[in-house]
Amino acid sequence: MKTIYHFIIKELLQVKRDKKMLVIIFMAPILQLIFLGYAANMDVDIVHTTILDQDKTESSRNYITSLLETGYFQIDYYAKDYNEITELLNDGKTLVSIIIPKDFEKRINRHQPAPVQAIFEGSDASKASIALGYIQGVTTKFSQNLILETKDNLGMKSPISGSIIPEPRVWYNPEMKSRIFMVPGILGLVLMISTISLMSMAIVREREIGTMEQLIVTPVKTYQLLLGKLIPFTLIGFVILVIVMVIMTQWFGIMVRGNKLFLVFAAFLFVLSNLGIGLFISTISKTQQQAMMASVFAVMMPMIYLSGFAFPIENMPQFFQYITYAIPLRYFITILRGVVLKGMGISSLWIEALILFGMGALLLVISSMRFSKKIE
Amino acid sequence: MLFIIFFFPVVLLIIFGYAINFDVKHIKIAVYDQDKSDYTRNYINGLISSDYFDLVTYVEDSDEIKGLLDEKVVQAVIVFPNDLSKKLMSKQDVKVQYLIDGVDGSTASVIQNYVNAATYAYSIRLTKEYLAVHGKNIYVPIDLQPRFWFNPELQSTKFLIPGLMGMILIVTAVISISLSIVREKERGTIEQINVSPLSSLEFILGKTIPYIFISLINATIVLAAGYVLFGIVIKGNIFLLLFATMVFLFAALGLGIFISTVADSQQVAFQAANVTSLLPSFILSGFIFPIETMPNIIQVLTNITPAKFYVVILRAILLRGAGVSAFWEQLIYLGIFGTIFITLATIIDKRSRGKN
Amino acid sequence: MKAIEVNNLTKKFGDFTAVNNINFDVKQGEIFGFLGANGAGKSTTIRMLIGVLEPTSGDAMVGGYSIMNDSEMVKRHIGYMSQKFSLYNDLTVAENIRFYAGVYGLDGKKYQERKQWVLKVANLENMENMLTSSLPGGIKQRLALGTAVIHEPKIVFLDEPTSGVDPVSRRNFWDLINDLSDAGTTVLVTTHYLDEAEFCNDIILINAGRLVAQGNAKALKTNYIKNPILEIESDRVVDSLEILEKEKWVGETSIFGNYIHVILNDDTITEKNITQLLYEQNGIKIKRIERIIPTLEDVFIHLIEKDNK
Repeated sequence: MKTIYHFIIKELLQVKRDKKMLVIIFMAPILQLIFLGYAANMDVDIVHTTILDQDKTESSRNYITSLLETGYFQIDYYAKDYNEITELLNDGKTLVSIIIPKDFEKRINRHQPAPVQAIFEGSDASKASIALGYIQGVTTKFSQNLILETKDNLGMKSPISGSIIPEPRVWYNPEMKSRIFMVPGILGLVLMISTISLMSMAIVREREIGTMEQLIVTPVKTYQLLLGKLIPFTLIGFVILVIVMVIMTQWFGIMVRGNKLFLVFAAFLFVLSNLGIGLFISTISKTQQQAMMASVFAVMMPMIYLSGFAFPIENMPQFFQYITYAIPLRYFITILRGVVLKGMGISSLWIEALILFGMGALLLVISSMRFSKKIE
Repeated sequence: MLFIIFFFPVVLLIIFGYAINFDVKHIKIAVYDQDKSDYTRNYINGLISSDYFDLVTYVEDSDEIKGLLDEKVVQAVIVFPNDLSKKLMSKQDVKVQYLIDGVDGSTASVIQNYVNAATYAYSIRLTKEYLAVHGKNIYVPIDLQPRFWFNPELQSTKFLIPGLMGMILIVTAVISISLSIVREKERGTIEQINVSPLSSLEFILGKTIPYIFISLINATIVLAAGYVLFGIVIKGNIFLLLFATMVFLFAALGLGIFISTVADSQQVAFQAANVTSLLPSFILSGFIFPIETMPNIIQVLTNITPAKFYVVILRAILLRGAGVSAFWEQLIYLGIFGTIFITLATIIDKRSRGKN
Repeated sequence: MKAIEVNNLTKKFGDFTAVNNINFDVKQGEIFGFLGANGAGKSTTIRMLIGVLEPTSGDAMVGGYSIMNDSEMVKRHIGYMSQKFSLYNDLTVAENIRFYAGVYGLDGKKYQERKQWVLKVANLENMENMLTSSLPGGIKQRLALGTAVIHEPKIVFLDEPTSGVDPVSRRNFWDLINDLSDAGTTVLVTTHYLDEAEFCNDIILINAGRLVAQGNAKALKTNYIKNPILEIESDRVVDSLEILEKEKWVGETSIFGNYIHVILNDDTITEKNITQLLYEQNGIKIKRIERIIPTLEDVFIHLIEKDNK
């Protein structure tokens, strides 16, 4: 136990001494969380729209007004002709051009379908399809009102039939802000990046400078050596956790609805599994450069994209969904969102916690076995 | 090392191409049908006959709803009131409540759109049926005809590939050049170079050119993989693309060289490269997260990453086949960016040599 | 009493045999020199002896424990200092000492005593709060040795401890090694400085993983080269060398600065024959020519060349 204590002191002294690294270790998570928190926003709040109104009647104006009433559409241009639309779309200056045909009102009055074209700059598929959803919503509602009106005009008894009015209730995040969804996920992400990169460098660095060889020759047990690395980095992980939690609650105003203690416990399990990954990278890399490259490109980037932090796992093909089961961040994000946004507790999230624990334990055991006190 | 440089672009491309998908389909829903009438059954059938909704379960008791949403068993629950058919038959309007898991705000708003549209569509159908019974003609007043230019199948991949290319290029360029110079510093070989008659500029050029080649090979790999795996073809002029890529690399390598003159250990260089290139090119380049929805300060900050400008250029050339008129401002910006950083690096390098 | 006994020790890396069936003994309290060119297998052998590299076959007893079966016990009784710098540059002198003492479980009075000893041998008394990175090379080396023996091991392994250190510091360092030896510690040291080998009680030489020679310096010089050696100083060194090499009675030649060492195959050849050959036939002026006792360098070059044939 005393030996481990000396290792911890040594490790913390080293962190304290390297001022540049110290700044990076604690500032990077703060900056990442704040930047990502603001930037990671996939809401389509504004649809840049161009209108080509060839009809210019009351009906066409009504239609345009009903688009504007949703608050999503911002009409940047009224196009004069089709060529102008082509140009605007080519230069990427507008997301959608809505073309109302010449005989729009006439057709409506004659009870013939009036074709309205919506041409999208489709490069950004997700944006385009969300915008399409908005337009479809407006158009269907507009159509229905027309039918109801025409019924009246036909002189039928009013109302002739009831209609179904959808009434949405959005839970957990009533304004449907991406930020509330993203920030807890980013918190997990930031915690992962800092703990994996610290740990993956820790042992390789000692190997490069030669102190590892010296330690191997001492009677220190492998477990003492590993605990001497794991404990200080777990501590650092906790400091980072506290920092990012404070930013989440105080800066972004996202409060933890559920049990904080359980969240901290889950974070501990998560940090352990990350340290396991970092340790594993450490055991397979010969130089710091290799460890960096491996941790960033082979481990962190795929994990970021597949963790579900920004890109919904349910939308992935089955094969990739299976891969996500191997990613600790996935479980931690589920726990984070559950506890922070939904106020869930251990009773419904114990499976995720158990999996995190299992992964951490497994990773640590495997890499400890790979890390023997022999050298090649 | 080389393996990672050439291999990871393809892996990332595959992940982006297949796994990252914002198209919301197969929304898992539960139905709490207190009416159990033909109306509700038809409504439900209408929903699940499309690709958009998968009916997971029926709820028998309102207490179940919370659990289903909490544990993400379903994404939305539709609640039919028990007087739905009665009201409709008595020609009254009726509200159908549905509860959405709003945790993922953007998915939630997509779901909301779908459910709204489906509900109005069903409502129109009811009215039409009514009219038909009364011998009136059936018509849809407005026939919305969506067209998607440049990307008719609405593939997310098409949009992401330019961003991915930008990110891969800037990461390999900035990280590998800054690390390789700092490594020489750490090992002391740079002293050897400092005493040689090589000028600062020559040294920097000698370091840069190999990485320009590596980066160009990387770009080719990404484009080739994009074509083979996802059928993405270059719509615009390939020489314009090459030229723009060189300008971008000039800017990226300038940044990398600048970092290497400031940092004195690989660890610091790596973290600095991370903070200045990897994260900004991911977060701030407009690659995934649209810049226009960011707060103003962050929008200003997006200018620190050359990737932002390259992504605009790439999307223009690759997807829309646009000419230089669409992005000359971006090209000039990249040129200035690179010049500033290389100049700074040369000045600092000269100074540090003077000291020795 | 033997401190180290090496029996048929072999290490293979794939097809490459780094250490080939080596046998030697090290006596208690002696300074044992382990010589060989770079890549001859010195470091590999040492790493096996200190228990961090497993032998392919064979075994060794270090301080009475088998490196095959008891490598953790071996580690308790040895000290080791590698050619790489083994202290933490970003810790202070005192922090480094505290850490390594802690690793070896030193505490309380014992720790204070050993700490003072290390500071003394490294000449760092009252400077214990300096950052290790700011120390000059020679001092760092002494500090590294001090911490490597902080637990007072019976046997110390030093792997090229003086590489890259200036001559004065090297001399001071060897004084330290002699002190350790006088105090009864067995020191096994690898080096490629042959002047350092002269300080050793016993020497072995390995080449390409094989043991080529062993004995003390004096025995090596007399036992391995029986033929006479002449040292020749002339005005045209390279020409002289080329001319001599063509003669049948010349065994080996080597250049030492501006003179040549020649090992003769034939006892009957004298200084006169050589003067005749170089001066009278080729016009090379000879400044000095004399029969010498071989240096260790002569012996090693001779042995390695013979071995490589």
